[in-house]
Amino acid sequence: MSSTNKTISEKTAELTKMVQWFDGDEFTLEAALDKYKAAEKLAAEIEHDLSSLKNDVQIIKQKFDSDK
Amino acid sequence: MEKPLSQPIFSVSDFIAVFNQTLEYAYPSVEIEGEVASFKVNQGKFVFFDIKDKNGSVGCFMTVWQMRVPIEDGMKIIVSAVPKLTQWGKFSLTIKSLRPSGEGALKKSFELLKAKLDSEGLFALERKRQLPRIPEHVAVISSTQAAGYADFIKILGDRWGGIRVDVAHVQVQGESAPDQIIRAINYFNQQEQLPEVIVIIRGGGSADDLSTFNDEPLVRSIAASRIPTLVGVGHEIDESLADLVADVRAATPSNAAQILVPDRNEIIRSVRVQVGSLLPRILQLIDQQKQSVRDNLNTAFDAIERSINDQVVRLSTLRSVLAQLDPTVVLNRGYALIRGLTKVGAMVEIETNKVILEAEVKNVINK
Repeated sequence: MSSTNKTISEKTAELTKMVQWFDGDEFTLEAALDKYKAAEKLAAEIEHDLSSLKNDVQIIKQKFDSDK
Repeated sequence: MEKPLSQPIFSVSDFIAVFNQTLEYAYPSVEIEGEVASFKVNQGKFVFFDIKDKNGSVGCFMTVWQMRVPIEDGMKIIVSAVPKLTQWGKFSLTIKSLRPSGEGALKKSFELLKAKLDSEGLFALERKRQLPRIPEHVAVISSTQAAGYADFIKILGDRWGGIRVDVAHVQVQGESAPDQIIRAINYFNQQEQLPEVIVIIRGGGSADDLSTFNDEPLVRSIAASRIPTLVGVGHEIDESLADLVADVRAATPSNAAQILVPDRNEIIRSVRVQVGSLLPRILQLIDQQKQSVRDNLNTAFDAIERSINDQVVRLSTLRSVLAQLDPTVVLNRGYALIRGLTKVGAMVEIETNKVILEAEVKNVINK
């Protein structure tokens, strides 16, 4: 996970919001390039986070072959 | 005559006890295959039936709680039992467990239990709960030696990460399998920190192997789980009652992993597409702005050009009008211009397009 401590879901939601900005009323060409650079950086972070995550598989010690 | 060896004289009860002891020593447990006949349940608790073949028949006894699969007359079953002589001297088998034998009996038993549980609403769609979109804590019940388990873990790891996966290793076939799975379900349901989903998986197998997942107590245990359940047993064509009662059914263990988590590679692709589409969009907007400026300039240029043309046309019209007012044009049409006083004896100048004459006024007549 990246240093920002946001979850992948939060980052994905943030990216979606950034992309939606380009279709919204607040869009200005002057701000577009900065927004684009920020979106590109966030996308790279998400990709890094997704690629580096591993599952933690634990076989539990409890036995189930009897009621005890 | 030789005195015969003294033989013990039993009371009837003692004889029955000794006989049963001998039986227990010789046959602590037997498995017998046969056909069910005269099946009946007394007082809703006690089950009696005969198990028979072409040449013999033996009475059987068990309680309804021991009967994990429904049976009926004519079904072929295998019983695990203890032979016993009852206090009334009747030989019978005390059944420890039974299972349908052969494809026909398995199918029949499956259909009977399916109808029963369906009538209780255990398979109703409104009972189904949704699984979390991306779980962070998952419980898996399976045999860790099974190929299906390995497939599930591999595909889960390929598709997503960061999940805590607690695995309960259990038998997934055989007589003890249903109880082991039930204990594992109960174990997870009793945890302080509940997993978000219980995944029960097992790879393909024979109908007999998969019959574990048609066990009535197991099916009821899945239905009663506080934690949503995902069941992936056998191959796509296999249908078990555990599948039907689960909140979500997966066709195979691999499919269970696909259902449980999204594919990170698809998300990465989607993120790339989302961001990748932005730059062309910005460039397109810049082009649109440029075009808009060009269009505005063209419009302004057209307006100026139109204005100039209007002025040119107007000037031309004025020139034509002016030309009409030019006296030489009148002279050219044959008229003459006379300058001087209009009184008798005055000298006047007469100008034509070719000559200028001087003349004297001889007479003036008013019109």
